[in-house]
Amino acid sequence: MNLLALYCTHQTTPLAIRERLAFASREQLAAAYSMLQERFPETESVVLSTCNRVELYLARPSDAEPLTPPQLAQFLSEFHGVPLDEFVGEMRAATGSEAVRHLFEVISSLDSMVLGEPQIVNQVREAYRVAEEQGTCGPITHALFQGAIRTSGRVRTDTRLAEGKVSIASVAVGDFAKSIFDHFDDKLVLVIGAGEMAEETLRYLKDEGVQEIVVINRNPERAERVAAEWGGRAAPWSELNKWLGVADVIVSTTGADKPIVDAELFKKVRLASPGRTAFILDLGAPRDFTTSVGELDSVFLYDIDSLKQTCEKNRKARIREIDKACRVIEDETAKFMAEFYRRAGGEVVSRLMQDWHGVSKDELDRLFNKLPHLNEKDRDQIERTVERIVNKLLHPPLEALKDEARDGTPHGLINALKRLFGLND
Amino acid sequence: MLKTTVICFLASYGCAFACELVQLRWRNALGRIIALLFGAAGLVAHTFYLLRRSGQMDLPPLLSSAHDWLLVLAWIVVLVYLFVSLADAELSTGLVIWPIVLTLVIAAQFVTTSPSDELNHHRGWGMLHASMLVLGTFGVLQGFVLSLLYLWQYRRLKHRQMNNQAVRLPSLERIERFNRWSILTAVPLLTIGIVSGFGLSIIVKKVDLRMTWTDPVVIGGALTWTLMGVLFVWLLTQKRQPGKQIALLTAWSCGFLLVTLIGLQMLVAAVGTQGVHGAPVDREQKQE
Repeated sequence: MNLLALYCTHQTTPLAIRERLAFASREQLAAAYSMLQERFPETESVVLSTCNRVELYLARPSDAEPLTPPQLAQFLSEFHGVPLDEFVGEMRAATGSEAVRHLFEVISSLDSMVLGEPQIVNQVREAYRVAEEQGTCGPITHALFQGAIRTSGRVRTDTRLAEGKVSIASVAVGDFAKSIFDHFDDKLVLVIGAGEMAEETLRYLKDEGVQEIVVINRNPERAERVAAEWGGRAAPWSELNKWLGVADVIVSTTGADKPIVDAELFKKVRLASPGRTAFILDLGAPRDFTTSVGELDSVFLYDIDSLKQTCEKNRKARIREIDKACRVIEDETAKFMAEFYRRAGGEVVSRLMQDWHGVSKDELDRLFNKLPHLNEKDRDQIERTVERIVNKLLHPPLEALKDEARDGTPHGLINALKRLFGLND
Repeated sequence: MLKTTVICFLASYGCAFACELVQLRWRNALGRIIALLFGAAGLVAHTFYLLRRSGQMDLPPLLSSAHDWLLVLAWIVVLVYLFVSLADAELSTGLVIWPIVLTLVIAAQFVTTSPSDELNHHRGWGMLHASMLVLGTFGVLQGFVLSLLYLWQYRRLKHRQMNNQAVRLPSLERIERFNRWSILTAVPLLTIGIVSGFGLSIIVKKVDLRMTWTDPVVIGGALTWTLMGVLFVWLLTQKRQPGKQIALLTAWSCGFLLVTLIGLQMLVAAVGTQGVHGAPVDREQKQE
């Protein structure tokens, strides 16, 4: 399988580097796809960029020259304008079945900061959808991502990974916000940006009794939509400082390519409500708040990496579920690879079945002409019997083909079958 | 009545504290129940002891002596602690409460056990003076404990440490609210206690007022009361202050007040200074 995955994740790479390699906006993604197509023609590609990871999946036909990690690293370097030596050591690469297994682990949230978090499935689905929209998907990536979505479903039903408090938002609200505030019904929540994780955080905050929500987004329609959905109100971007000054809970996920709030600005706007405690959940990658904001008195700033400790604990508590999930992923990876290689011999199989069933049908027609006294029921019985005989005779060679396909495309066996059963082109 | 001694409840409280410490490592419901049972058993023994002392002296515990006064204070702390623990079994306030209770009970062994004649002759004023002071001091103690809890929780959140299963603390907002109310109620109570103390000195003609003003307990109490008064006014006049600032100020001022009050009582008992609060330690009774 000519598949290459190049990635950096929260496990391998600090946020400071990830945020420089992230594809923060839809426009940036479109530009990246366009550059990939230009640079690597006839290559399928899917880019997965979230706050926790930046991953590139590229696939080519089996007979094409395989892509190499340095080629993709060079692409990232040129696209983002980040010198290679600043990040190349932080990148990881996987090919073939390893790449498949990695994606299956990612979508099953085994590689997530919070084990079992549901957002990653939607993030992978969205990445796949955008790639389809950009016309960069092909047979391999279609099969790969559909297989990944199927695997995540199986992991969630066969294991208890998705049970309990597991997402970044729930950990942030449950473990930290609730240790700061006693109740939320009198708190003002400011949402900057309108990402999926911000909305999930809002759900948890709503459950805690939040009533006053203000949504600010550079895109007013998006802000209106989120505000309407959560019973809040939208405010124009120009009022950001005003709301920053009075908010108790700030959830930020703008997708801006550099921080939008620093300590100086925050200190200045908070003069409007001196002594007021602020809980800031910075879900942006790149981060929306500089780390110095968190050093101010009565300000509790949490970014994605701050939640690592809690996530690690959840991970340990669910170690048995991880083992189960790994077994599911191993099984699905093996099935996927076998199916992939079987497809390579699919043409031979279908021609063989077509030929044998064709021969049996011709012979049966001849037989029924000679025995016109047979009624419909008898004919039906005979047809079924013959079909079963053909299937049983075909079973051993097809099973052998399937077995061989587990380790790669069974070119030798395919050629043998072609010669033995006269399936030459 | 059972012949309970200080050792009985001191040992129970010590065991309760040990159970709390064990909970840090092995958190389980059984350990928690055992800790509460030790606390409750200690409280029962403590109550019997105070009643017996009251019966022996033929005085309410608050008027008996500085020894009984400190033990009443410890008794209130344990009672409130048990109530809070039953209301929210997950809170880890015992880690802060038990050292304070143990300190109070041990300190009670080093202060006078003899009653004051003046208080005995003017029971109404005496009860007002002692009860207001003990309740006010309890408010100060509560403020001190809450401030420590606030600073502990604040530090955890600033350092982004996850909620430790073994140590669960209340939210900052809740601690801040309780802390504010502790100070706002403690200072008026202390004021009434101190003013009634001066009133009592004036009423009792035979007490030399000059002696009152040179009594270290009176001087220390007045100084720390002034400090608490400043904190009180600051809390009332400032619209909103950072919680950490309140907690730091409260911890320092309350800590200072507690150390001064208890320390001076011990000092006075040790050097045998004569004055309103200067009755010498009754060695015979202390051995009980």
